Amino acid sequence: MSSTALIRIALGAYFVIFFSYLLGPLVVMSLTAFNSSAFPSVSPWACFTYEWFEVLFNDKSIRQGIYYSVIIGLGTVVLSVSMGLAASIVLTQIWPRLRSTYYTMIIAPILIPGVVLGISTLVFWDRVGDFLGVSEGSLLDLLFHNGIFLTILGQSSFIASYAMLVFVARLQRFDPGLTEAALDLGATHTQAFRKIMLPFMRPAIASAAVLAFLASFENYNTTTFTIVDYKTLTTVLAQKVRLGINPSISSLAFIIIALTIFVALAFEANRRNQARKNAVKEGKASTPKKGFLPPFLRGNPAAIVFVALAFVAIGMVGTAQQYSPESCKIQYQEAKQIEIQRRIQELQQKRKIRDQSGARNGPDIFVTPPPKKVQPEGGSGAFGNVFDPGNLNSDKNN
Amino acid sequence: MKKKMIFSEFFKNNGVVMGSLLMGLVGFWLVFLIVLPQLSMLDYSFRFNLPPAEQGGPKDVYTLSNYQQLIYGSDTTRQTYNTVDLMVFVRTIIAAMAVTIFNIFLCYPLAYFLGQSKGSGFVRLLVVLLIIPYWINEILRAFALRIIFGDSGLLNEALMLLHLTREPIDFIRQDIALYAGLGYAYILLMLFPMYNVIESLDRNQIEAARDMGASWLRIHRRIVIPHAKPGIASGATMVFMLSAGALAAPQILGGPSSLWFTQLVYQWFNDSLNWQQGAAYAIVLLASTIIIVLTVMKAFKVNMGDIGK
Repeated sequence: MSSTALIRIALGAYFVIFFSYLLGPLVVMSLTAFNSSAFPSVSPWACFTYEWFEVLFNDKSIRQGIYYSVIIGLGTVVLSVSMGLAASIVLTQIWPRLRSTYYTMIIAPILIPGVVLGISTLVFWDRVGDFLGVSEGSLLDLLFHNGIFLTILGQSSFIASYAMLVFVARLQRFDPGLTEAALDLGATHTQAFRKIMLPFMRPAIASAAVLAFLASFENYNTTTFTIVDYKTLTTVLAQKVRLGINPSISSLAFIIIALTIFVALAFEANRRNQARKNAVKEGKASTPKKGFLPPFLRGNPAAIVFVALAFVAIGMVGTAQQYSPESCKIQYQEAKQIEIQRRIQELQQKRKIRDQSGARNGPDIFVTPPPKKVQPEGGSGAFGNVFDPGNLNSDKNN
Repeated sequence: MKKKMIFSEFFKNNGVVMGSLLMGLVGFWLVFLIVLPQLSMLDYSFRFNLPPAEQGGPKDVYTLSNYQQLIYGSDTTRQTYNTVDLMVFVRTIIAAMAVTIFNIFLCYPLAYFLGQSKGSGFVRLLVVLLIIPYWINEILRAFALRIIFGDSGLLNEALMLLHLTREPIDFIRQDIALYAGLGYAYILLMLFPMYNVIESLDRNQIEAARDMGASWLRIHRRIVIPHAKPGIASGATMVFMLSAGALAAPQILGGPSSLWFTQLVYQWFNDSLNWQQGAAYAIVLLASTIIIVLTVMKAFKVNMGDIGK
């Protein structure tokens, strides 16, 4: 009995540790976005402020970075999803003996370090330019040294593997008889693909596209080599973080985290709705349960997200107009000044005391370790304190 | 001849247009994005770093000097070893292994719990909570840890408040922040493969073993772990490869005096502009990590086909 209780307690503690390791840093980072202190921190809490969001929105390099990240993301989605789909279809049809070799080849890019992929892409297209003998400044030469082109290729080389895994999972449930039936009824192969395979794969294509876009958006290792003279959001952030951090990055993180939570909850709500609808269809569950949301929102996660975002935006703008952190900041500055004054005084006090004892001990060259207790009598130590630094002086004084 | 048969069958199954489209896409990916770039990097790593005018000239011959640089440094007599770079290399590999093992132990209990408690709302919520950090940018996650581990960061403030330490501990210089960050960055790649395999384990097997009187430890050793082996191997492979090849976490969380091997590669490329040298270092990293992964997989009798499931 007590042993099961012990296991429960251990399990609970482990859960707390795991989730605080996973989520704690994100919570702390989000909080720092609202602290007015110039170094991102929470523990000496200065003032609640929105100013870092303003700094963020006025940051041109971040806007530029987002723009290029989106372009590269879209290119990567198109290329990697189509390559992944083709590779997964080929995998279902390939000669069985080649199958495992082929699978190893298309799964390998996931395992190759991103740094290596970036370098090899950069080197290879530079070589292709040399090989084709393109002249400096010609169209092809510009293309082969263009950061966007290289980044899309470099990222697609491994993101296509992720997409392929999504498609393989879906293809396992595909009935090839459907395609055969279409062919028998006189459809061309292209028609059969467009009318049968694509509709069947649509959910997988959607999730692979989302996955590919996210993977491209947050990629750093490959991009930092292939991007050449452009900047994506991730490389801009990396540069900022390395050069010196300030809370405007936290405010960006807060926005991303908030969006992520909304999207994740919307997906989850959507999944539950779907499951309930299926259950109703099969007659297992009779009436839809009463949710905490009004009916027009139920079953429409996008609306939930929209309403929630609108509330947050209204709340932020409203409080930003009502509340100004300036007075708080002045107060905080004053408090800080007083604190500094107090510390200076403390230090002066200490120095005074030390100077007084130092006057008896002679020149104050033994600052560390702190001055030992002067023993004017001497003789309590084994060697009568002959090694005491103040010994010579005190002898003289005596 | 046989190849021709395969191809003709392939085109018969898919039609000429679709067949060549599929073949073209897969071929482009495999040849132009994977195989040829790797080969050209390998070729590059055996060449001298020459100014553009001398490229293709008589001096442009193959050489081992880029690899000798890693082992002996710039010393031409080859008496002393390049201890700095070699130490960085060894440290990278060992630390990546340690991070992998740490992640296995941290994730296994949770994966078991999630995999065996089927479909309750609470478990779904936990899974959603787990996915959220994975969608946050790698740089931002490293940044979050930096806020916590900084000199006046939350952790130091907390430790000093509790009087556990009087001076702030320099987590960054002592690489504690780096290891925590590496473990943090790829922990979900360990958790989800494990969770997927354990979820497919039939609960009755565990109950049968329990009825027969097997101890808690024995159930895990004889039933759960053998079943979860492909998932553990897949997660461990990914975590090891990604941490050994990580660049963001060492750049942001690493101490100023300690380097990660990828940072050396980065320096050769972007600071010294010696691509050939950088390519040689990258090849060493790639080859050694692949050899390690294959050796470990062989030792634990896991197939390549299990990866990514």
